[in-house]
Amino acid sequence: MRSSPSLDAGAARGGLRAALGHQLGVFGAYFAQFLKVRLSYRVDFAIDLLANLIQASVQLAILSVLFSKVPSLRGWSYEQVLFIYGFSLLPLGLFNIVSVNLYRFGERYIVEGHFDRVLLRPVNPLAQIMFEEFNIAGVNEIGVGVGVLVYASTRLGLAWSPVDLLVLGVLALAGALIFAGIFLGLTSVSFWFEDRMGLAPPVYNVIRFSRYPVTIFSPLVRLFLTFVLPFAWVAFFPATWFIGGPQARRLALLTPLVGVAVFGLAYHVWKRGLRRYASTGS
Amino acid sequence: MTDAVALRPWRRTPSATLGLYLHFMRFSFLEYLAFRLRYYTGVVSYTIFVAGNYYLYGALYASRPAQPDEPITLGGLTLAEMVTYVGLSWIGRSFYFNNVDRELSGQIREGHIAMLLLKPVHAQTMYACRAFGEAAFRLLMFTLPIVLVVGPLFGLLAPPHPSLYGWTLLSFLLALLVNTQINFLVGCLAFYLKNILGVIRAKMVLMEFLTGVLVPFTFFPDWVQRAVGWLPFQAISYIPVMTYLGRRSGDDLARGLLIQAAWAVGLLAAGRWLWNRSVRHVTLQGG
Repeated sequence: MRSSPSLDAGAARGGLRAALGHQLGVFGAYFAQFLKVRLSYRVDFAIDLLANLIQASVQLAILSVLFSKVPSLRGWSYEQVLFIYGFSLLPLGLFNIVSVNLYRFGERYIVEGHFDRVLLRPVNPLAQIMFEEFNIAGVNEIGVGVGVLVYASTRLGLAWSPVDLLVLGVLALAGALIFAGIFLGLTSVSFWFEDRMGLAPPVYNVIRFSRYPVTIFSPLVRLFLTFVLPFAWVAFFPATWFIGGPQARRLALLTPLVGVAVFGLAYHVWKRGLRRYASTGS
Repeated sequence: MTDAVALRPWRRTPSATLGLYLHFMRFSFLEYLAFRLRYYTGVVSYTIFVAGNYYLYGALYASRPAQPDEPITLGGLTLAEMVTYVGLSWIGRSFYFNNVDRELSGQIREGHIAMLLLKPVHAQTMYACRAFGEAAFRLLMFTLPIVLVVGPLFGLLAPPHPSLYGWTLLSFLLALLVNTQINFLVGCLAFYLKNILGVIRAKMVLMEFLTGVLVPFTFFPDWVQRAVGWLPFQAISYIPVMTYLGRRSGDDLARGLLIQAAWAVGLLAAGRWLWNRSVRHVTLQGG
């Protein structure tokens, strides 16, 4: 029998590496626990995964039916828009896997008082919240995204170099970081206003429109999606590395900077909120 | 003598039954009224859906090679009609949407269904009445604000004839009936699967498409249009919205409403049957 790493208190004393290993072990245990709960309803779990495939099929069908009416969308070809759509699923999937609790932080952790339990444990509170529940369907989204990317880039005749693949991974992670930053920022508002749902749902609904080339929108909306709610950096700008001209390529490389800036700012707000937190006492 | 009176089975008078179910409607209305603040961000959400489609279809129509002396139409709709289609689809959804499936499955999963089974009410009728109460609340506090924001903002068209306001309203009322019964049927699946969160998500994704909220069916090839014509989902959004746009007139208008009514009755019967079948072998969890 192996001893569970999460129970090994001594590991925390063995320096940074051991501490990190300890934390990873804790999250491994969280994940195993989550899987046990989720898999206890197998049929529903399978249908949940199926729901993602249905969603992707519906979106692809709509995209192709729209493009059956026009040769291009404001100069963007079907394959290019398809590429942006496929790419957008990578950061979205990565983010969706760990984001479930960010949406209901206000309700579950602040109003219902579960946050006290989190604060009593010697693990980063934000990491605990994000890793307490997973959305496995996110993996599915990534799979669909890769499939669409392969199809679109074959049709576009793109040649993938190893550098491109590396850039793809980095940009996808950066996009996920932008998502995490935006929603962490919105979640942190719960520390000031005990709002159950807050602004997250309307903002989440913007995502489905940020998968189109940002140039189809009016200048004001374009500015908004670039600088205020920077969803344009999650799919459109990064995708231009692969399908845009030489100038656009340089812009795409700013994505990681945007990601770090957005997440850094949000984490700062979260920390301030954390200091302000007073339990509801329930 | 007195024994005979005591043995006579208790019967609720029809007016008492009506009063009882009206109470469910009223309580549901009041419950939602208490949470009305939640719906303000909803107005923003719905406006975003319409706005996104407004730009998307704007770009799509602008990308269509121009034909001389002819307004550009796609799927038989001009751009103004298309924007109205999208706007009204979401306005309608803000009215007929409800969470009967989520509520019912929650009651089943957590075992509270035992209390419901003990009460002298029929769950299907009760949930339908609750949905009507919720819809009344939505109409006043959610749909109306959305109409006031979305209508002028995106320049939604009036129907070609004023009488179509009335027919559209009637059509959306039937849509509410159909939607509520579909949700009740989905909720009943919790008797068999216990947890149906995935089912509910799959239903939501499919319905956005099959009701015609995302894209009008006229954009699709013939065989898709014929296939969705056989499903109940077109009765939830496509029929009322096309009625509003004046795409259904005369016999076709009546046929649309009859299709909706037929689905409402059919699904009501199916829900009755599934419920009666399901409660016979209900296993209670928790409690």
